[in-house]
Amino acid sequence: MLLLQQIVNGLMLGGVYVMVAVAFTLTIGMLNFLNFTIPALFMLAAMFFWATLGGGFGSGFTNLLNHWVPQSMHWVVAAGLALLVAILASLLIERFTYRYMKTRFGDATEHAIPLVSSLGFLIMFEHLVIMTWGTDPLSVNSPFGTATIKVGGLLFGVPQLLSLVFSIAIVWVLHIMLMHTKTGRALRSIAENPDTALMLGVDVQRIVPLVYVVTGGLCAIAGILFAINYRTVGPYIGDQVATVAIAGMVLGGLGNIWGAIVGGLIVGLLEVLSTYWFGADIVKVPVWGLLLLVLIVRPSGLFGHATIGKGKF
Amino acid sequence: MLLEIDSLDVRYGRNHALQNLSLQIDHGEIVTVLGANGAGKSSLLKAILGMVKPAAGQIRFDGADVDRWTVPKRVRNGLALVPEGRQILTSLTVHENLLMGAYPRRDVRAADIDAIYQRFSNLAARRDMSASVLSGGEQQMLAIGRALLSKPVLMMLDEPSLGLSPLLVQELFSLLQQLNTDGLSLLLVEQNTNMALKVASRGYILELGRVVLQGPAVALAADEQLQSAYLGE
Repeated sequence: MLLLQQIVNGLMLGGVYVMVAVAFTLTIGMLNFLNFTIPALFMLAAMFFWATLGGGFGSGFTNLLNHWVPQSMHWVVAAGLALLVAILASLLIERFTYRYMKTRFGDATEHAIPLVSSLGFLIMFEHLVIMTWGTDPLSVNSPFGTATIKVGGLLFGVPQLLSLVFSIAIVWVLHIMLMHTKTGRALRSIAENPDTALMLGVDVQRIVPLVYVVTGGLCAIAGILFAINYRTVGPYIGDQVATVAIAGMVLGGLGNIWGAIVGGLIVGLLEVLSTYWFGADIVKVPVWGLLLLVLIVRPSGLFGHATIGKGKF
Repeated sequence: MLLEIDSLDVRYGRNHALQNLSLQIDHGEIVTVLGANGAGKSSLLKAILGMVKPAAGQIRFDGADVDRWTVPKRVRNGLALVPEGRQILTSLTVHENLLMGAYPRRDVRAADIDAIYQRFSNLAARRDMSASVLSGGEQQMLAIGRALLSKPVLMMLDEPSLGLSPLLVQELFSLLQQLNTDGLSLLLVEQNTNMALKVASRGYILELGRVVLQGPAVALAADEQLQSAYLGE
C-alpha cells in the first residue's frame, strides 16, 4: 500500500512536469527552438501568484485587493496576474529572440543565437525577481490548503489531483486544437515547413506569437499549480522543475505532446520512487541515468520521430 | 495586363539572381519562362509571390501595385504557386493539404473541394491517408489541386513536369491547357521546353538572371539557333 501511495504521489508530481515538458516540446516541435526562458516563465508565474496573496507587491496593493475583491476570490486575481505576466514575458522573448533572428537573417532556427539569448532572458528574469524579493523560499497562502480525499486507503491531495487532471485536460484540448482546427493545421504546416506554409498564404509572422502565448500560458498554469501544491516558491524553482521537465520531454520524444505527457509522468514517478527506495540525496541519478540510457538505445525518445524538427503532430 | 514586371532586381548577398527583368502576362494567357538551372527562374516566381524581396523594380498585378503586399495578401488576391519539388506537407493528410490550399480564403465551400476530387480521382481515393504515400504524379496533382483551392487568377508553376513519366507529362500539359480554357492564366517555368512552347502563347528565355530573348512561342520553337544555344537541344 505504501508503494502504491508513492506511485500516486509520483504521478501527481508528474502533473506539474507534464505542463512544462509540453511547453518545451511545443516550441521545439513548431519552431525548432529550445526555449530556455521557459523555467523563468514558470517561476515568474509562481512568484506573482505568491506576491498577490502574500503581500509581495507592498501594502498598498494588498489594501486595494482587500477593498475591491472578496477574500475568497483573491486567488483568481493572483492566477490572472500570474498568467498575464508569463504570457507577456513570453511575447517579449518571441519579439527579441525568434522574430528578431527571422527578420534579420531570414531564418531563426539555424542559429544558436536565439538559444543563447533565451538563456540570457532566463538569468535576467531570475535576477529581477531576486532583486525584488530576495532568494529565500517564500511560503504561499494556498487557498486550497491541504485537503485530501481517501480512496481505498490511498491518500490523494485535492490540489495535486486537480492539477494532474487539469494538465492532462489542457494538453488534450491543445491536441484537439492542433488536429482539427484551421489554426491547428496552419501550425502543423509551419512545424513541417515554414516556407511552404507561407507560400500557401499562412501569415507565419502573425501566427508564431500564438505558440509563445500558449507556452506562456502552460508555464503559468504549471507555476500556479506548483505554488498551490508545494506552497513554497523561490527564484530558482524554475530551474529545478524545468531540468526535470526537459528530461521528461526527451524521454517522450522531442516535439511530441503525448510523449511529453508520458515522459513527464515517468520522471515524476521515478523521482518519488527513488526517494522512497534510495533516499532523497541521489534522486537525480535515476532520472538522468534513465534519460542517458534512452538516448543511447533510442535517441528519438519513446514516441518521437526519427527526424527531429519535422512533422511531429 | 494581368501581371506587369518592370526592371526587377533580386539579389542574394552579392549574387545577382535577377537583373533588370521585365515581363508581362495578359489575362487568359499562358506564358512560359525557360532557361538553364540557375538562370533565376525560381527567384522570379518567388519574387512575384513575395517570398523574396526585390532589391529594385516594380510588380503590378491586376492593376494594383503589389510591392508592399505580404505573401498572404498576394495569395488572397489571386496569385498561387505550384512550387518546385511540389512541397507537399507530408505530416498532413491529402485532405488537409487541400484545406491548406484554401487557407487564406473564406469563400471556399465543400463543393469546391469536391470539384478537385472529381478532377483527380486518385486523390479522392486517398483522401484521409498521409500525403507521404502519394506517388510523384499524384503529388503533382495534389500540389495543383491545392493551388487551385486558393481560387487563383494567375497560377505559377515551377517545373511541374520534373520527375514525371512521359505519359504523365502529356496528361499534365493537357490539364494545364484545360485550366487555361476555363479562364486561368498561367506562368509556366519549365525545363521541358518543347512541351512548354507548345502550350504557351509567348515565352521568355532567361540567362544568368536576364531576359536574353522573348517572343511568341511559335517563333521561339522554330528558332533553331536558339534551340541549340539556350535550350540544349
